[in-house]
Amino acid sequence: MNDTWTPRIVVFQCQYSLYCEADQMWMDTQLPPHIKLIQVPCTGRISPLFVLNAVQGGADGVLISGCQPEKCHFKEGNLGARRQLDEFRRFLAYLGMEEERMRFAWIDLSERGRIQQELADLEETIRAIGPNKRLVTRAITIGEQP
Amino acid sequence: MYKILSKADLPRLIEKWMEQATVYAPVRQGDFTKFEPLNDPAQADLYYAANTRYPPKALFLPQSEVMFRAKNGELESTEDEVSSRVILGIHSCDTRALQLLDGVFLTGDYQDPYWAKKREQTTLVVLGCADPCETCFCTSVGSGPFDKRGADVMLIDVGDEYVADVRNKKGQALFDPLPDASQEQVDTSRRVQAAAAAKMKKPFESEGIKDKLYSLFDSDFWPKVQQSCLGCGVCTYLCPTCHCFDIVDEAQRSERVRNWDTCMFRIYSQEASGHNPRPTNTERVRQRIMHKYAYFVELYDEIGCTGCGRCVRYCPVDLDIRQIIRSAQAWEES
Amino acid sequence: MSQLTLAIRQEAARILEENIVDVVIGFEAGTLPLKAQPAFITQKEEAENLVHNGFCQNNLASYLTRRPKEERIGIICRGCESRAVRALVLEYQHDRDKLYLIGIPCTGIIDWRKIEREVGENALQAVEEGDEVIVTTRDGEHRFQRADVLHDSCQRCLHPNPVGADIVLGDPLPKGDPERAWVPVLEFETLPPEERYAYFVQETERCIRCYACREACPMCYCTECFVDYTTPRWAESMITPSGTQAWHIIRAFHQTGRCVSCGACERACPMDIKMTYLVDKLNYDMAQQYGFEVGASDEAQPPFAAFTLDDKNRFVR
Repeated sequence: MNDTWTPRIVVFQCQYSLYCEADQMWMDTQLPPHIKLIQVPCTGRISPLFVLNAVQGGADGVLISGCQPEKCHFKEGNLGARRQLDEFRRFLAYLGMEEERMRFAWIDLSERGRIQQELADLEETIRAIGPNKRLVTRAITIGEQP
Repeated sequence: MYKILSKADLPRLIEKWMEQATVYAPVRQGDFTKFEPLNDPAQADLYYAANTRYPPKALFLPQSEVMFRAKNGELESTEDEVSSRVILGIHSCDTRALQLLDGVFLTGDYQDPYWAKKREQTTLVVLGCADPCETCFCTSVGSGPFDKRGADVMLIDVGDEYVADVRNKKGQALFDPLPDASQEQVDTSRRVQAAAAAKMKKPFESEGIKDKLYSLFDSDFWPKVQQSCLGCGVCTYLCPTCHCFDIVDEAQRSERVRNWDTCMFRIYSQEASGHNPRPTNTERVRQRIMHKYAYFVELYDEIGCTGCGRCVRYCPVDLDIRQIIRSAQAWEES
Repeated sequence: MSQLTLAIRQEAARILEENIVDVVIGFEAGTLPLKAQPAFITQKEEAENLVHNGFCQNNLASYLTRRPKEERIGIICRGCESRAVRALVLEYQHDRDKLYLIGIPCTGIIDWRKIEREVGENALQAVEEGDEVIVTTRDGEHRFQRADVLHDSCQRCLHPNPVGADIVLGDPLPKGDPERAWVPVLEFETLPPEERYAYFVQETERCIRCYACREACPMCYCTECFVDYTTPRWAESMITPSGTQAWHIIRAFHQTGRCVSCGACERACPMDIKMTYLVDKLNYDMAQQYGFEVGASDEAQPPFAAFTLDDKNRFVR
């Protein structure tokens, strides 16, 4: 395994995800270059198209981070997302992309440091399974340009 | 000039051509054939299917053609990225279609360099149709199974051999070393050609079609005819004479690309203001038929259809242009 | 002419004559022996042109969204077509009160490709006789067992009987075998991931983006399809692996909980691309996860149109 390879990760973050301020500050300013952050108003806004586009553009992993049920800023957006993205993950796995690459994490304000933990965890999982070889069909736009 | 080529000698001849040029021929893919560059003469399958589904116009007007690339602040055109080619096994309908498209792409004031260079660099070895299909109707649109217009060489299948009608210098370059055909062989080839044309049915009369279609412009004919049309792109993309395209700048790829477009899509004529001069399927179906059988005639004095029959075969709803033209000719305004 | 065809013609003529509908959509004999043409009749005299046979390739429900909204439409529909009509009504695409469904239990559509594979491209005539299909070509007669030349989707069909019809003509048929229906999906899933992706790439490589699959599908009716969005450009019109793969993946996904497995998409494709293995997987998941089947009821919302607090947190951490 090539130690110098860094997994490319795309994070879709609900902008109301109640990270504590320190965590949010970290997300906004200290995110490593191989992680691309895309903020959305609500995870309910996330269409499978976003995930597919990320994967086609070279993402080895996709993390979707949103508010817990009953704490959605828009009441039920995160519930709508749950069903669709669950199935999309299954569908991409059917086409050969490992299930572990896509994750959905609901984070509460009180869970300090959770987001960094999730990212580290995802990175470790991706390192174990290697770079994504399926569906990567566009110019890579995440992290260091090849 | 007539040469004789035994079918058994064809692979060796192709090999010789391959020393100087890329040779394209129909290659079997699943249940159909497609024109592909040959790595080995044995790949060529001239008879598995009556014709390829995907038209050979793609070899001159690719479905997606990069026009230029941006590299280090400079634009590099791709028009010279073309090498010497031989296309073997193209039929008369598709060859004639290329000639009709020359009228579009090689007008006096402006010669499309991408089209022009490919045409210059390509020799067409046409295989005439001794056994035309049920869906072919080239004889109804002023052409025929052995129409030689546009061919550099026309091959006529006379059994174990081909009589090769070599039409010009390009053809000679490929066929010169071959022996001349005997008078008897040439006579046989003439009989084969006449028999093929005679076998074909004429599903409609094309005489006067342009004026008849103009007269039907506002009639109820079109709203009726268009009902089953789904508005997909099968007919236009498989058609050897359709040539509309859309130019796109692909920023991520730093390329300007020309892609086939189809008048059957609503967005084809959709304007930025929101106005659409062909707002419903009626206008679009009317346009498609009239472009081929009226407007093209107006502009070039030729019917813009060569009767290959692909649209008839592959239309998902069996909307048959032969039936449409026949109905149009017979339509009486009530 | 069969009793069934006669009954269809009589009913179509009746609903036109009694002014119950403005148009009846069905099939009439086409110009090619292995296909029929969709027919749109507005006068009762035209009813005698209607045919019903195994050569009727299309899903007629795809015309509902193409007709004027106020039109009262009679539609001759088989199992999958009637389920698609139900799904469209559920999505408010047409008023059920303005529809009259003449339901026909369906014995399946004959795949012209399977026939041409055996006898070549010049069929002159084709007729169905009991369990057989007799095709005449230039070199004579060829006989096929009907069951062997049905379209793949029809061979797996779970619901041959029409649902929610105003009248059903013909005798009901036994339902399909669910075990059989899901076999291709389950078998595909046993392949290693590289092979599944390789199959997907191999099939989609041929795609010429004609969108015949989309237009033939009764459930694809968006006035602006996602492929036509420019900001951002999800699927470029240039023929590229990214654009074409995005097209197939997302079109299938947009059918989740909506697709009736009629196979019209595959039948429409001029390049013989297989694509039902994609939507069949999604249909299977909807049945397994949510107990949902399209067209099974007049009210059940498709899974993606609803959500609950109690949805399983399968992959949420």
